[in-house]
This record gives sequence, C-alpha cells and structure tokens, in this order.
Amino acid sequence: MSDEMREIIEDFIIETQEIIDGLDEKFVELEKDRSNQALLNEIFRSVHTIKGAAGFLGFDQIVELTHATENVLKKLRDGIMEATPEIMDVILQAVDILKKLLEHVKNQDNQREDLSDIIARLTAIESGGLAEKKSEEETTGASMSEETAPSDETPQTPSDEAPHRVETPQGPLAAEPATQDRNREPQPQKESIHVEQTIRVDVERLDTVLNLVGELVLGRNRLMKITSNLESRYADDSEVLSLSETMAFLNLITSDLQMAVMRTRMQPVKKVFNKFPRMVRDLARSRNKEVELLITGEDTEVDKSVIENIADPLVHLIRNAIDHGIEAKDERIKKGKPPKGTLRLSASQEGNNIVIEVEDDGRGIDVEAVKRKALEKGLVTEDQINSVSDKEALEYIFLPGFSTAQQVSDISGRGVGMDVVKTNLANLNGVIDVITEQDRGTRFVIKLPLTLAIIQTLMVEVQGETYAIPLATVIETVKIGKDEIKTIDTQEVIQLRGEIVPILRLARLFSISDDGNKERCYIVVVNAEDKKFGIVVDRLKGQEEVVIKAVEGEIINFKDSSVIAGATITGDGKVVLIIDVAMMLQFVTASEVAYV
Amino acid sequence: MFNPDMRILVVDDFSTMRKIVKNVLKQLGYSNIEEAENGAEALKKLRAKKFDFVVSDWNMPNMDGLEMLKTIRSDSELKDLPVLMVTAEAEKDKVIAAIKAGVNNYIVKPFTAETLKQKMEQIYQKLYKN
Repeated sequence: MSDEMREIIEDFIIETQEIIDGLDEKFVELEKDRSNQALLNEIFRSVHTIKGAAGFLGFDQIVELTHATENVLKKLRDGIMEATPEIMDVILQAVDILKKLLEHVKNQDNQREDLSDIIARLTAIESGGLAEKKSEEETTGASMSEETAPSDETPQTPSDEAPHRVETPQGPLAAEPATQDRNREPQPQKESIHVEQTIRVDVERLDTVLNLVGELVLGRNRLMKITSNLESRYADDSEVLSLSETMAFLNLITSDLQMAVMRTRMQPVKKVFNKFPRMVRDLARSRNKEVELLITGEDTEVDKSVIENIADPLVHLIRNAIDHGIEAKDERIKKGKPPKGTLRLSASQEGNNIVIEVEDDGRGIDVEAVKRKALEKGLVTEDQINSVSDKEALEYIFLPGFSTAQQVSDISGRGVGMDVVKTNLANLNGVIDVITEQDRGTRFVIKLPLTLAIIQTLMVEVQGETYAIPLATVIETVKIGKDEIKTIDTQEVIQLRGEIVPILRLARLFSISDDGNKERCYIVVVNAEDKKFGIVVDRLKGQEEVVIKAVEGEIINFKDSSVIAGATITGDGKVVLIIDVAMMLQFVTASEVAYV
Repeated sequence: MFNPDMRILVVDDFSTMRKIVKNVLKQLGYSNIEEAENGAEALKKLRAKKFDFVVSDWNMPNMDGLEMLKTIRSDSELKDLPVLMVTAEAEKDKVIAAIKAGVNNYIVKPFTAETLKQKMEQIYQKLYKN
C-alpha cells in the first residue's frame, strides 16, 4: 500500500468515526422530531458521504450497508415514510454494524460481517414492508436496483443524459437547490457557518509539548528562587534589578504559555455526553420505561485524560439511574409522578474544577435498605449501623462488594459496583457525592480537576525532607504541643475544637527515623473522601504550584508506595514527593475517622 | 488535453474525499491542486486567484455544488470556468438541474482515474473543438 493510500485510509477512519459519533445523537433527536427536514438531510448527507469515500477505497461491505441505509433515509427525508421507533431501531442497528465494519478497517483484520439480515430488514422497510406512510412509489425506488460498480459507469456527456426522464421528488430538498438567492441562510446551516479552523495533531506531540512546558515551569520556578536570593543579597545592583524585571516578565509568559498548552488538550465533555442519548434511549426501551434525558453544559471543556476516563463511571451511573432509579410507568402514575422519568446530565466549571451531575427523578435510594444490605454483607458492624447518620450510611454504596439491586438485571449488576466508579474518579483526583430523597430522586455530584498535570500544593518538612500535600485537600493547619496528642486504642488523635481528629505521622509512614519527641509540631488537617484527619509534620514551608511527574518503579523503604501520587522538582531544584491524601486514609483506624 | 500545470480546485466537505480526488488527479499528472470545503469557500478562492478547472461535490453544507455552479455561471469573471460535478448514483435524478445550470460534465463516484480522464477529455473537446 502506498503511503498516500495509507494516509487517505487513516483520514477516512478518523472522519468516518467523527460522523458516526455524531449520528447516534442526531438519530435520537430525530425520534423526538420526526419530520425535522434539516436533521434528516444532515443524516442523509453523513451516510452518503461515508458511502462515497468507502466506494473509492474498496470497502465493499461499508458501501453495501450505507447504500441500503441511505435508501431508507432518503424515503424518510423525502417524507415518503416517517421515522417510527421501529424503523429507527433498524437504522440504529445498521449504524452499530457500520461501527463494527469501521473497526475492521481500523484493525486491518480483513474480517467481514454478515450483512444479510440487516440488508434484508433495511430493504424491507425501503420497499414499504414496514409502516409506509404513503403507498405511492416514487421514482427513487428505481435507484435501488442499480449497482454501484465503477466499471458500469459508461461515460455520458450531459447532452446524452438530458433526455433521461426524471420526476424530481416533491420533498423540500429537491426544491431547495433551485433557489437562486445566494443570501438565504436557512436555520439548519447556521450551525455549520462558523466552521472551526482546525488541524489534527497527534496526541503524542501535544503530550511532548505539555511535558516540555512542565519542565519549563520547573526551570522558571528555580530561576525565580535564584533571582529572589540575588535580590536579597545584591539589592542595589542595577543588573540584579533588571534581572528581577525580566524574571517577572518571564514568569508571566510561562504561566500564560502553560495555560495555553493546557487548553490545547482540553475538549468539550460533549465528546462523552454525545453517546448518552442513544444509550438512554436503548436502555429505556429495553426496560419498558419512559426516560427523557436532559443534557446541559456539554460545551464545558476538560483535559483529554479526564474525557477518556469519565465515560465508564458516567455510563454506570446512568445505567443505575434507569435500572434502579426511575420507576416503571404504572408505578410512577400510582405515585402521582409524570409517567415519563427525567434524567439530567449536566456539566459546569467551578474554579479549577469541573462538576458533573447525574440526577434522576426516580424512587431514590432507600437508606434503611442500604444499612441492612451493608450489615448483611458484613461490610459494617451492628454498632456502626446504629451510630451512623443517614448521609454516612449512604456512603456504604461505595464500599467494595456492595450492591442494592434486588436481582441482577441485564442493565446494571454486571459485577461492577459503585466502588469502581469511586475508584475510577479517585484516579482522576475526583470525588463523588450522593444526595437522595425517597420517591423524589437521586443526584450524584462528581467533582474533577480541570487538568491533572499541575496542582497547588502545601510544602511541608519532615525530618529535613520536603513533601508536597495537594492544597485542595488541606482544610487547615494547626500548631500543637506534644502532650496534646492522645492515643485511643492504637490510633493517635488530637482534639480540635471539641472534635476528635485522628492523626498520622508521615515519618512513620515513610519509615524515616523520628524520635516523636518534639515539643511542638504542626498538624495539616486534610479532607479525603469526606473524612478528616491530621498529618503530623515538623515544619510548614509554604505554597507552591507544581507539575506532577509520575514516579517509575517501586519506592523502597515505604510502608506503602501507594500514598505517593507522584514527584516534582521545586524551585530550589530538589525532587519532592507528592502525597496522595486519599490513599493515606487506609492507615487511619476506621472507627476513629471523624466525618467532616 | 488540458495543460498538466493548470490550477484545479477540488471542492468537497469530506476531507478524505478531497484527498481521494486529489490522488486520482495526481495519477493523471495534475499536481497544481487546491482544496475548498464547500461552495462558499470555493467561491472565495476562485475570486482570489485564477483557477483553470473545478471538481466539485454536490451535497455540501453551507452552499452546495449546484448553487456554487450557478454563482460561477452568473459571475462575469468566472462564467467560462470548466466545472466537473461529482455525484453519487443516488443523486442522478438531480443531474438535470446541474446540466441546466451549465455544468460541463458530471462523474459518478466511485470513479477510476481512467473514467476521470475520459470526462476531462470530453470537457476539453467540447470547449476547444469548436
């Protein structure tokens, strides 16, 4: 295969994928608004485009499938048929098979799909086997019989072609091209008018740029440190003064550059949200429930890595909501609720975080049932159950091995629980919160950082070693005397304004020799997964913005290297480990955990 | 036949298709090729500098091929520009409209280099024979 050909095929894969991604959403939209001409034409054009290119590239199965699909779409577009759910089911099935065919192209596995069934179904619809609106056959039907073989096309000059009798279909589209007015701006085209000027860049190249900027930031930080040292030493030197000025400028530019590079990796959450209308439609249909999906804030942008990893947790939450949350139609009517359930999916930006919410108006989570289940599964003790608040009890759904589903359904209950959702989100430095009300519904609130690469940290010192604690987790810092630390069972605690807060010693966790006998020390009070605990350190060094670098290999001498989120290089050139606060939580004796 | 150095504009909203058409044109020895995503963009390019030949798709958002063709024919500067329309077999019915609007020829996709060559030859013949 020539390089040129390979490049064209790669392009075809990317572009077709983009089209297919958009199709699902358009189809679901179409089901709501069956006679939307603009939408129908757009869908038709998409499938048509794929067919055209596939024909050149010799992907005969794609041509065969898109051809049959296109014929049905044409009838829908021309108003000869209506897009009933039954017809949509078949078309969506065809799109699914198209996805598979594209996979084969991508994998170059030369595999073929059995198209006979889907082609038969599409042809049946097209020839009026299913829900025909009008009985009169249009000339469009004739095109079916013609083959798409390039060799069959004997060249014809326009004059030869002219006598060809054609009755133009009466659909609005057929009339459209005849319009002479160049200034017309019909609604459907508005969207495509501000076509984005884009170029495709390999992600690896972007990552390299991001990495280099990361290094640049570290260099900038060092340079700033050195500059400030020089300033304090040679305050009167004019050279130092201009160095400071240049440094200030460089500082600003670096920050801007960093932000700009970061933005190149940002993508709208639409990319993930796009596939949900189709999913919700299919799920609701298979469960005989009526569910309306309302999506807001789909243009909110987040880092690519967040986009890639947020889909699975969201799929899980949405499946849960439809399977367990939203009731069947009659049950809803009995409760005096609208028969159609509502599922809200929203995204918004709050400072440096993105907040994603999944909310249903279903039956809500039964807290008592959660408690019983947790007890049954031996996840908690009876004593714990009795002293726990409702909000705390609700947190049990995130425990490994927990599942409230009464029976395993084909939708949820596939052995992955909410604990996986929580872990997946934690990997993105995100947190999840659940709010529920009996018979009113359930709302999951997910909070994620916009980017994973750069974080604000609090620098602390333990036995002469510096560590970074992510600032987002820090609630406060307190200075206490040695005798204020008490021990309950084996857990060291302090009393903070009447509240018992367990504490952990970094020195012990990291097996650094520590006499533990300092008269005074600092406690960094942190919040992880809604639980509060203190980290004992010798000194607070201040706040610094750091670029996270992954630590490769095992970190020796550590009780558990999982408490290390990564490493960074500080302004003074030292390598500093970044603490993963959520992972430290495992070393706090559970019963002593104070809730925020 | 056309001069191999002539400047050709390939108009299609699907970039893969533009590359394919370009590739076929290259096989025929044409290398001076530029691209446009839709009729509107094509017109902008056509008005900015001189092109000798246009190969255009039909169904495109933001000004389709037919409308672009009509605009070209009604523009005193561009009206003699040869335009070859690429259509799909399903759109055959609409070719009549294109012929009326003054298209020089049309070609049904998928096409081979040989077919394209024939079409271009036909256009050339018609233009310069008389």
